[in-house]
Amino acid sequence: MSNVRIEDGEGIMLERRAVPASLGKTAPGKKEGAGSIFLRRFLAIHDLLLDWYGIILLLVLWQLCPTLGWIDGRFFPPPSTILAEGVKLVLKGELPAHVLVSLQRTLLGLAAATAVGIPLGFVLGGWFPRAARFLDPLLNLLGQINAFSLFPLFVLFFGIGEIAKFCIIFWSCLWPILFTTISGVQGVDPTYVKLARSMGSNGATIFARVLFPGALPSIFTGLRLGATFAFLMLIAAEMIGASTGLGWLVHNSSVNYLIPRLFLAAVTIALLGMTLNHTLVLLERKLVRWRVRNETA
Amino acid sequence: MATHGDGTHKEDLKIVLKDIGQVYHLKKSADGSREFQALKDINLQVRAGEFVALVGPSGCGKSTLLDILAGLTRPSSGAVYIDGKEITGPALDRGIVLQGYALFPWRTVRRNVEFGLEIKKVPKSERRGISDHFIRLVGLEGFEEHYPHELSGGMKQRVAIARALAYDPEVLLMDEPFAAVDAQTRETLQDELLRIWDETKKTIIFVTHSIDEAVFLADRVAIFSSNPGTFREIVEVDLPRPRHNSDIRSSAEFGWVRHRIWELLQSRPSQECREGGNIVVKDAISPSATI
Repeated sequence: MSNVRIEDGEGIMLERRAVPASLGKTAPGKKEGAGSIFLRRFLAIHDLLLDWYGIILLLVLWQLCPTLGWIDGRFFPPPSTILAEGVKLVLKGELPAHVLVSLQRTLLGLAAATAVGIPLGFVLGGWFPRAARFLDPLLNLLGQINAFSLFPLFVLFFGIGEIAKFCIIFWSCLWPILFTTISGVQGVDPTYVKLARSMGSNGATIFARVLFPGALPSIFTGLRLGATFAFLMLIAAEMIGASTGLGWLVHNSSVNYLIPRLFLAAVTIALLGMTLNHTLVLLERKLVRWRVRNETA
Repeated sequence: MATHGDGTHKEDLKIVLKDIGQVYHLKKSADGSREFQALKDINLQVRAGEFVALVGPSGCGKSTLLDILAGLTRPSSGAVYIDGKEITGPALDRGIVLQGYALFPWRTVRRNVEFGLEIKKVPKSERRGISDHFIRLVGLEGFEEHYPHELSGGMKQRVAIARALAYDPEVLLMDEPFAAVDAQTRETLQDELLRIWDETKKTIIFVTHSIDEAVFLADRVAIFSSNPGTFREIVEVDLPRPRHNSDIRSSAEFGWVRHRIWELLQSRPSQECREGGNIVVKDAISPSATI
């Protein structure tokens, strides 16, 4: 809102400056000014909404089609129905519980993959580049294996419990994080290391003050990729073998023919995925400010 | 214009290079391993507070010698002494400035300058005052919180110089520091470097491929020949000081010293040297040419 107000202020100032140009016609000039302020206010709001028009259009069409009977509302409930269903489930405490379970699983797997992938990436990329080269084809092959296709195997080993789902997320996060960490470490300009060495820095200092900050932008790319994969895989896993979580909510709704609830679950998954990605982007901006500025410059 | 003798008093000596040789073992081919003699019989004595330039064709081992001085590379034979003590590795008594700046892009100007102080474990409260001083010395006040990508090439090199000076090394090792900036900036930076040298009394070893730069800056110029890299001659530059902010570059004496060095670089050219020699000739014709 503050943006709009600033735009208005500028608008008024511009208008005042413009008045002497139309000398003698004070009254009509003022009238034009008022119209112009409205136009500017409209344009400012238009500017703010520009990114949202697609979504707004979709929602309006979605609402109209079933309401006007163009499509069958039983299979395609309007947003208002889904929203009502959402309010109902939130009030019952069901939806927050499912969201929390899914989120907890994702974050746990992501954290474990980070705890393994980043140190392993540094060891392979920084200390044993030969080993990294030697292992590269193998790691790439493993990374190409869809975690979901391993799910039956995980279930076989660990049963249909939390561990199998944890394994799926861990597996899907680990590879992108490991690969980007290795390439991040290897991408650090060797003159940075040379300079730090010339000042007598030891290995730990070089790691903490040169290699780690230098590799951080690349690591963040891996984290974002990993989190996205993890979330997708988790929903799929929850659809197969779970009794809670958003994936289960989708599956259960479809089996029981609860279409509004199914849509609600799908929308929640989309929003949650967006939030997760956005949180990581914000964290990245905070931690690697220099790189983000660099890219926009 | 006399070649350097050993007339200096021992207690004045800051750096002594004694019979430095460097041999690289190249990858083994079918006919066994091959060796490459990068440096051979390098001897040099540098007085405290002296400014010595190393010139020579590219690939003659200038940068290798600087790495040895920095302690980053151990020589295959011979030794380097600083204040009479043999150096065995890198330390904060020597500061280096590289051609590619090597500023940490994730650190602001101030944090770059403070890097060596952090290694030296100088408390944070003292670091600020020191970095303020050296940022002012190189004329970058007001840019403390800028990131390297927001600076021009010349400004980046000033930061690199401030960073090398901040932890107060007695010796400054500079590897073609001004090769990447434009001609005008280059002359400004040379003036600035002489002013800073005057103020800080550092001993400077300065690698360059530009004869003009060497003559303008240095007390003595060591001329390299390549394959193997060794000193052909060490020329005393007897031009008056202070030279910064003067038009000494257009004086007859300056031209004469420059010509003498150019001739030395031309004589007895080996295959590699002829190649590199051409680069130097270009420099001699257009004084401030950069690669």
